[in-house]
Amino acid sequence: MSATSFKPSSDAAYPPRVLALFNEQWQSIIRHTDRLFLWLMIIQWFFAVVLAVWISPRTWNGPESTIHPHVWIAIFLGAIITSAPVVLAWRQPGKVLTRHTIAIAQMLMSALLIHLTGGRIETHFHVFGSLAILAFYRDWPVLISASVVVYVDHLLRGFFIPQSVYGVVAASYWRSFEHAGWVAFEVIFLLIAIRKSLQEMLAVAERQAKLEEVNATVERAVAERTAELTQAQQIAKLGNWEWDILQDKTSWSSETQRIYGHQPDDFGGKTMQQCIDERVHPDDLARVRQVMAAALKTGQPFVCEHRICLPDGTERVAVGRGEVLLNDRGEPMKMLGVVQDITEAKRAQEALRRSEEQLRQSQKMEAVGRLAGGVAHDFNNLLMVINGYSAMTLQQMDAVDPLRKNLEETLKAGERASALTRQLLAFSRKQVLQPRVLDLNDVVGGMEKMLRRLIGEHVELHTAFETALGHVKADPGQIEQVILNLAINARDAMPRGGRLTIRTSNVSVDQKTSFRNRELNVGEYVMLSVTDSGIGMSEDVKAHLFEPFFTTKGVGKGTGLGLATCYGIIAQSHGDIRVYSEPDQGTTFKIYLPRTNAPLEPPDPDAESRPDGTESLLVVEDDRTVRTMIVTALEQCGYQIQEAGDGMEALPLLEQGNSFDLLITDVIMPRMSGKELYDEVKKISPGLKVLFISGYTDDVLAPTGVLGKGISFLEKPFSPARLARKVREILDGREEKTSHRRKIVTAD
Amino acid sequence: MTKPPFIKVLAFTAWLLVAAGGIVIIADYESRAGRFGVTPERWPSQNLISLDPQHDTLVMFAHPQCPCTRASMEELNQLLAQSGGHVAAHVVFFRPAKFPADWAHADLWKTASTISGLAVHEDVDGPVAKHFGAQTSGFVVLYRPDGQLLFHGGITDGRGHVGDNVGKDAIISLLAGREPSATDTPVYGCSLTGDSCPMPAPKTTAAR
Repeated sequence: MSATSFKPSSDAAYPPRVLALFNEQWQSIIRHTDRLFLWLMIIQWFFAVVLAVWISPRTWNGPESTIHPHVWIAIFLGAIITSAPVVLAWRQPGKVLTRHTIAIAQMLMSALLIHLTGGRIETHFHVFGSLAILAFYRDWPVLISASVVVYVDHLLRGFFIPQSVYGVVAASYWRSFEHAGWVAFEVIFLLIAIRKSLQEMLAVAERQAKLEEVNATVERAVAERTAELTQAQQIAKLGNWEWDILQDKTSWSSETQRIYGHQPDDFGGKTMQQCIDERVHPDDLARVRQVMAAALKTGQPFVCEHRICLPDGTERVAVGRGEVLLNDRGEPMKMLGVVQDITEAKRAQEALRRSEEQLRQSQKMEAVGRLAGGVAHDFNNLLMVINGYSAMTLQQMDAVDPLRKNLEETLKAGERASALTRQLLAFSRKQVLQPRVLDLNDVVGGMEKMLRRLIGEHVELHTAFETALGHVKADPGQIEQVILNLAINARDAMPRGGRLTIRTSNVSVDQKTSFRNRELNVGEYVMLSVTDSGIGMSEDVKAHLFEPFFTTKGVGKGTGLGLATCYGIIAQSHGDIRVYSEPDQGTTFKIYLPRTNAPLEPPDPDAESRPDGTESLLVVEDDRTVRTMIVTALEQCGYQIQEAGDGMEALPLLEQGNSFDLLITDVIMPRMSGKELYDEVKKISPGLKVLFISGYTDDVLAPTGVLGKGISFLEKPFSPARLARKVREILDGREEKTSHRRKIVTAD
Repeated sequence: MTKPPFIKVLAFTAWLLVAAGGIVIIADYESRAGRFGVTPERWPSQNLISLDPQHDTLVMFAHPQCPCTRASMEELNQLLAQSGGHVAAHVVFFRPAKFPADWAHADLWKTASTISGLAVHEDVDGPVAKHFGAQTSGFVVLYRPDGQLLFHGGITDGRGHVGDNVGKDAIISLLAGREPSATDTPVYGCSLTGDSCPMPAPKTTAAR
């Protein structure tokens, strides 16, 4: 038998929740009434026993007496009547069987008490009182059960022992209705009351259901708004907090907790001071305390940017804003505030600052580069003439000619000027690189003798080469220039002698790093380090180390182009150069060049010979003196030369059907560049070979500064002999395997 | 509502039967009449109580410790109240000689003493009771002034049970000069003198 479940006649009119609430309340009432009867039944039993002992303790047979049967009846029959309802009310409260058993037992108890009191009319009130208490259940069948017991009791006793009920030995059957009628009289009104009560309970359940619905709607809306707020706070990385100053208790939004790296329970019981001390960066702690103390004192709002130290060791930047709430007496009561994580904004700001700095540097380098390029172009043409004619004159001079020495000095000065021009192009990364696959051990090894001579006896040179060093692809002349510049700097850093160590090794970079706005990507590299035991550098010097024209040497001792040149060459070779130095602790430059698996390319034998030829050549050069020098040099070698002042002059020569074996053209020319000329020439004479000559190409030939395969280039200024060899190589089809090897000139 | 398990129904039924049986037993006990002997048709001459020559004489025999006799005393009180003083009423309390006088002078004695017009007597070892054939506490006899027996029996309808009953109605009718509904009724109470000789209860004649 299950618990009560109410099903009104108009069931469909009531939503399930209303019925559930109603039944929940009703079941609670029934259980409560069950418990009430549990104790009432026990008390009634004890009362019956006491009553029997009091009214009729003993029965007499003349002078003899024994315990009155009423006492035994009260004890045992009372126990029997009480047992079942008590057990059920205890073990199964709320069940239908329980309350019907209680109703029947209660009526039986009434009968017992009436008997024990000798049928006193007052005891009959127990029946009516019991019915009223049974009405607590608000379950009309319970009253019916009780009423049936009363009626059956009267009916049976009226039939079998009528005098015990009606006072006569024989009575009409209808007289049972007279007694039951009074019970029915009460029950009818109790039923009316129950019905009314149930209707009220139903109305309450309806109201409660509606209230629940409203509450649920409100709670849902609150939850949605809270979630939106939380999400907004997460997106904005903005959290709020509250500090109860009087009780020194803090409450934080989840985003605030996240910003400060706390778990939800971490703040429990902590004061504001503890929270600040735990997370604010030690260097910012005093300032934050000062700002908050000032706000408490003045009651004014505050803004405070500070760093946060998270438990995992990371550092974040936050800005806090707060306001103080004052009570009626003007005393601080609460502090409300927000905190925003501005780490990313700060990083972006820093990145922007770096980008701007990089841009400024690039613009500066671009300007210097353009200046250097312009100067180099004109200078190289001048030097071309000076050096070319000097060389040709020297070749034709007697060895004992007294003027020979003068001319040799002129040639040396020209070559130094040429090297200086090349450095200008190098640091501005405007020179044309002609890379090939190298072994840096060979490069350094080849320079060792020269380096010892260069650094002097007071500096000890050590080399440490990795035996299985990887190959790199770079312009060997430029790399030699870099090593030379670094060695000279090292020497100058050790005026009282010291130790210079050049080391090579294979390096694997497993994490992207950046230095001076350059990034070194993950990959395999060959590292070349140049370490001295000299005076080292300060941070300020290091910051400007690679800038052009920055020098710590005295006036006339350095141009400030050496390290800028190194930086430019390495950057143009897709590598990186880094410096590690502290004052009086020496300096180490580390050069990283990407490792390649390509095989070594043999160097071009550098000879002074001037190979001859009889082929027909077309020389296009806008500078007349340079053009004359080139034509003279090549004619001396036996070639058939035709010349043109620029591309517009050269094209008609080809269109007239003249046949040439090689086109030698300057790159930068008015009206038409060398590259444009070549493009036109290819249409007229597709197989014609070309040699570009230039001191400054302005990226016309190769935007990246590195020539592609199949393009022959000779950098001005060049000697007549070098020109003759280059022309011969191209005509013989060996050019692709050749490589330019510059003369090394000390720059700094 | 789910169907209760059979064992529960069985247990409930058993409990109900046992409890109802208990009620039947006490009803039966309550309605079981006591014994009485032969009541003389004429007023016995050898008697400590004198027959009233002017009014009817009513005598109740009572056990002073019998709890059931409270109901009879109550009924007697009502009866005398309704008689209007037209009866000479006596109550005779049995006391075994071995018990002190206080034993008889218990609550019932005190109650009887407070009833107006009721003479209280003590019957040591019960010779008077024997004369009137009284063997059950609450036994009442009513004689006319000329010594003729009018009524004998109990004036309750059950053991210790107050309320309307045939015996009281009969006496009231007789005192009022009306035809009684019965002249003898069962007596409900303790055994008065402890006589071992049982006598069957007289058949009650009740008015319809």
